[in-house]
Amino acid sequence: MTSVLQLVGVTKRFGDFTAVDDLSFDVREGEVFGFLGGNGAGKTTSLRMVLDIIRPTSGTISVLGRPPGRENSRDIGFLPEERGLYRQMTALDIITYFGRLKGMTAADARSHGRTLLDRFGLGDNAKTSVDKLSKGMAQKVQLATALVNRPRLLILDEPFSGLDPVNQGLLEAEILNAARQGATVIFSTHVMQHAERLCDRLLLLARGRKRFEGTLTEAYAALPARLSVIARSSPADLPGVTSATANGVMTDGWQQWDVRLAHGVEPGDVLQHCSERGIALRRFEPHRTTLHDVFLHLVGTAPDADTATDAPQRSAAA
Amino acid sequence: MIPHILLVAAREFRQIAMTRSFWLTLLILPAALAIGPLTQRFMNKDDPDRVMLIDRAGGATARLIEAQFERERQRTILTDLSRYVQRYHLDAAAPGALWSQHDRWYSDADIAQFVAEGGVAHATTLLAAATPDGTPAFTPAKPGFAFLPPTPAIAAAKDDAVGQALQPLLHPNAKDAKPLDYAVLIPADFGRSPLVRLWSNGTPGTRFVGTLQPVLTQELRGRYLQANGLSPDAARTASAIAPALSITTPPPGSGARERVLIRSILPLVACYMLMMSLMLSGSWMLHGTVEERSNKLLETVLACVSPEELMYGKLVGTVGIGLSMIAVWMLCGIGAAYATQGTIADMIRPALDPLNSVGTIATMIYFFVAGYVAIAMIFLAIGAMSDSMRDAQGYLTPVLMAILIPITILIQGILSGGGGVGIEVLTWIPIYTPFAVLARLGSGIPAWEVVATGILLAVFIVAELVLLGRLFRASLLAAGQRPTLKTMMSRMRA
Repeated sequence: MTSVLQLVGVTKRFGDFTAVDDLSFDVREGEVFGFLGGNGAGKTTSLRMVLDIIRPTSGTISVLGRPPGRENSRDIGFLPEERGLYRQMTALDIITYFGRLKGMTAADARSHGRTLLDRFGLGDNAKTSVDKLSKGMAQKVQLATALVNRPRLLILDEPFSGLDPVNQGLLEAEILNAARQGATVIFSTHVMQHAERLCDRLLLLARGRKRFEGTLTEAYAALPARLSVIARSSPADLPGVTSATANGVMTDGWQQWDVRLAHGVEPGDVLQHCSERGIALRRFEPHRTTLHDVFLHLVGTAPDADTATDAPQRSAAA
Repeated sequence: MIPHILLVAAREFRQIAMTRSFWLTLLILPAALAIGPLTQRFMNKDDPDRVMLIDRAGGATARLIEAQFERERQRTILTDLSRYVQRYHLDAAAPGALWSQHDRWYSDADIAQFVAEGGVAHATTLLAAATPDGTPAFTPAKPGFAFLPPTPAIAAAKDDAVGQALQPLLHPNAKDAKPLDYAVLIPADFGRSPLVRLWSNGTPGTRFVGTLQPVLTQELRGRYLQANGLSPDAARTASAIAPALSITTPPPGSGARERVLIRSILPLVACYMLMMSLMLSGSWMLHGTVEERSNKLLETVLACVSPEELMYGKLVGTVGIGLSMIAVWMLCGIGAAYATQGTIADMIRPALDPLNSVGTIATMIYFFVAGYVAIAMIFLAIGAMSDSMRDAQGYLTPVLMAILIPITILIQGILSGGGGVGIEVLTWIPIYTPFAVLARLGSGIPAWEVVATGILLAVFIVAELVLLGRLFRASLLAAGQRPTLKTMMSRMRA
């Protein structure tokens, strides 16, 4: 698969503060790539470097096979975390304006802008100025400005923040739609459920450093499996079990156990061992690992408080 | 790069042009041009001053005073008529007439002859045959004073009671009553005594006193000479002796000082327009720059255009707005001048003389555009450092004051003919250079100084583009911070 975005040893410092530290990763053509991390993890700074809004201190970035620059904008759609529009312009004019900045002809930008507005249910508001639109409508218009140039690479920075459930659904559908049409989608988020639903691969970032890069399956595999078992005897001695902690009080000789398995051990193997050793079971329930668990496991529970400074301020100091 | 700059510029232009404030500002000058003549008409006093002469020395002095005022009015008419004839080259209508002789001061004898020959009515008849179509008609000056006879109460009042009796006339209570402007009491013993009483409902006008006093002086001298043995005729002749002044005056609009002023009109108008357009469009420029940040769309824009493209685009857009506004104002001014076809059009013709020189046109355009760019850059940098219009206004007001106050003083200095050190110094301070050079173009500025200040201004603009460009770029994403002077300097060095 061709690499659409590649970062190699990218570091960004603002004075003494390192916002992104030796970051390397690849995004392959056609995949939906999640960029996960807490506040101040370096997600926005990384995306700004990809878009050439700020320059890295060291390392190299390749976007669609080229260095970052405005010449890439014709192939990129970008939805920033902080969203806004020119309040006096009409919805269609704004979409056309950004389409033209991305190298489209006025006619093409206007025509595709109309199509997008119709698709988002805003066909009747094409000539309405932004200050007369509701917040939800304005958010759809902003999404249309990112999509108007039919981007090969769609970059969304915290796209779900501030959206109501209906618009979150719309955005998810648009991400999947863009991916179906061959676009590569990168989105940053700290809401793991969105990433679980949408991502082919993901990258976990903490304090500017990469903690994980891979598929969801690989992410889940990074965390040992857990079981909830109710048995008469302890499963701690079974092969593949690293620990078994009694949970709650014993009732009629039955005890609930929180069982942790070694890396690579399947719950089925443990069930087989129980059966072979004659351990009576009332419950054998594998615990479903979530991305949230993986995140906490890899990143830790401590917030990125020391890094949660205002990224725009720091970037400007560069 | 260029297409991005033009797209940003076009958006800025369109956005400003769609605001109500732009159209209000654009219409200020045309409205002023339309309303100006009307207000002039309302502001000017139409009614003549009302004068009451109370002559208790026989009435001859009062008659002399009235005759003198009428003589002065005829002198004004004759002088105006002479300049009218000279301006429109109508001497051929009557080459021997007094009003065809432009090189003299009209004596009392000339006035008497003019009146005897039929006055302005006769002159107008003669001129009508020689006046080409389209020439405006001559309008004689209206009488400045109207003489009223004393009321019975005033006539009956004793000298020392006249003042009291005049009060209701000088300060009437009735709303629509016209007050008396002047009352003059010539006592019965005038001649033996020089005392004449004058009442006025305000400060007496110099024109009134200046006309009244020579008549009374002449009358006193005549009576004195008669009392000392001179015959009445000889006394009257002696007291009326006056020199015959022969005066050479340039045609209207061609005198040295007048010429300088007229040649200065266009450069000064350009200077004023530069100042006005910057003052009026300053807030639009700020709004345009603050808008992306205050509306949180800076990142969206910067993903498509570089900070430099954004800055140049805004600069081109706002300069375009300013120049369009000025173009509209100039067209309205020229339209008004040609529509009036009168004095303004006559003044405009010599005022447009500087446009005969390509060098002057180029100089005016260069300093105008360069001045606009130099100051617009400062506004853009202020906008880039501000999070909101309120923030930006905090910087804008002192900057505008620092620019406009010296310029206002400079223009006044040049208008009053000054060529002092202050004007010279301001000419060499780049931020004031465009205004000083434009304002001085009409009154004369050495060519080497124009070239040297032009080069200095160009260097200043390049330095501004580099330094303020860095400040603009570095400040764009620095939301939530009010930069200190140190921060600004470090951003300029970055």
